[in-house]
Amino acid sequence: MNLADWIGAFVGFVLTLLVFSYLIGDNPLFRITLHMFIGVSAGFAAVVTIYNIILPRLFVPIFISDRSEQILTLFPLILAGLLFTKISPRFAFIGNLPMSYLVGVSAAAAIGGAVTGTLIPQALASMNLFAVQSNQAFDANVGLRLVNGIIILIGTVATLAYFQFGKLSQASEKTQFQTWIDGLGQIGQVFIAITFGFLFAGIFSAALTALIGRVLFSVDFISDVLGLFIR
Amino acid sequence: MRNPVYTAIAIGVGIVVLLGYFLQFDLLVNLRIVFLEWATILVATALLIGVVNLFIVHWRKSTTDQPNRVNSIALLAGLTITMGVAGWFGPTDLYSLWIFNYILIPIEASLMGILSVVLIYAGVRLLRRKPNLLSIVFIATAVIILLMTGPLFGIDIPGLAELRIWIGKVPAVAGARGILLGVSLGIIAAGLRILMGADRPYGGN
Repeated sequence: MNLADWIGAFVGFVLTLLVFSYLIGDNPLFRITLHMFIGVSAGFAAVVTIYNIILPRLFVPIFISDRSEQILTLFPLILAGLLFTKISPRFAFIGNLPMSYLVGVSAAAAIGGAVTGTLIPQALASMNLFAVQSNQAFDANVGLRLVNGIIILIGTVATLAYFQFGKLSQASEKTQFQTWIDGLGQIGQVFIAITFGFLFAGIFSAALTALIGRVLFSVDFISDVLGLFIR
Repeated sequence: MRNPVYTAIAIGVGIVVLLGYFLQFDLLVNLRIVFLEWATILVATALLIGVVNLFIVHWRKSTTDQPNRVNSIALLAGLTITMGVAGWFGPTDLYSLWIFNYILIPIEASLMGILSVVLIYAGVRLLRRKPNLLSIVFIATAVIILLMTGPLFGIDIPGLAELRIWIGKVPAVAGARGILLGVSLGIIAAGLRILMGADRPYGGN
């Protein structure tokens, strides 16, 4: 290891200890580390954004490209300039123009993404559960696959029933339909609990791996430092 | 006061982009690509505005006599040094990568590490405070999955490995699919409200 690596390892070791100090309770050193982390992350995000988006997509076309592309790039340049007025409370209203543009495009992109990226693929996947011909039809496990497919279908519908999109009825007595939906929603809650339990286990495994990694790093660093002095 | 110009812009560009997704006319597709390109630039600008605002807020906090001003000073130091080094040399330069490898990654990984302790604590609290069917199902699922994640001291519980695979392939998929469909339906509903002008989250009340 060269000097920069030694200094880096020392800084990483100290930061690891400062973050782990949270385990004995919230303390000022942990909060300082957290604030520094926010600052460094924000700084990196800003620089990466400037290098990867602002410079190549906004400033390079303005100075290097042909006339038509320069004119086309003027629109986002003006909108971006107007958006900067949001920093000042007095002139923030000027920034509503680019905000309305951004919200309109984002809403449309979100709808397009939700339909083509989630709704249709997930609905197709649910239908394919019962396409026995595509599953090497009528082998020994086809019955089991159909049972699993029915469970997945019931679970999907029940989970969806748990999310109530409609307006809740103001009437004191529930209609038969509402009672059905509520019952289905309760089954859906069990499926949601299983899904979250599964995700919880996955996240816990990842977190535990990270913990082991940091502990191993700390042990290695201490033994390296001790090795320097003992040798 | 509501400004109809903002609403018209939001609805107009939104409808053009949405049509560009579903109708394969060259004009619509090209307009969608151009509008999305401009929106990408605006999102990047919004991120920069957020960073500038973060700097201003913590600059004010650090220059006034407040009890936690040292936190703001640490944030400003991290922000300015990182922006200075990575901005001057570039985000993939050795100096920038030194900050990334020896400051960002240790803190991120350590935070992830203490998450494991926090998750254990939260799981125990859930069972102690609210031991109902759903919390028991939640914890039982997590325990079954975790038991079979690694070797269990050489102990082989019959059927547990199969149960873990079945949970991952059937009920967990059902719940996840329901949640994904629910989220996408919610996104579509919220997006359509904006495109119809019922919601106007861009100022002007």
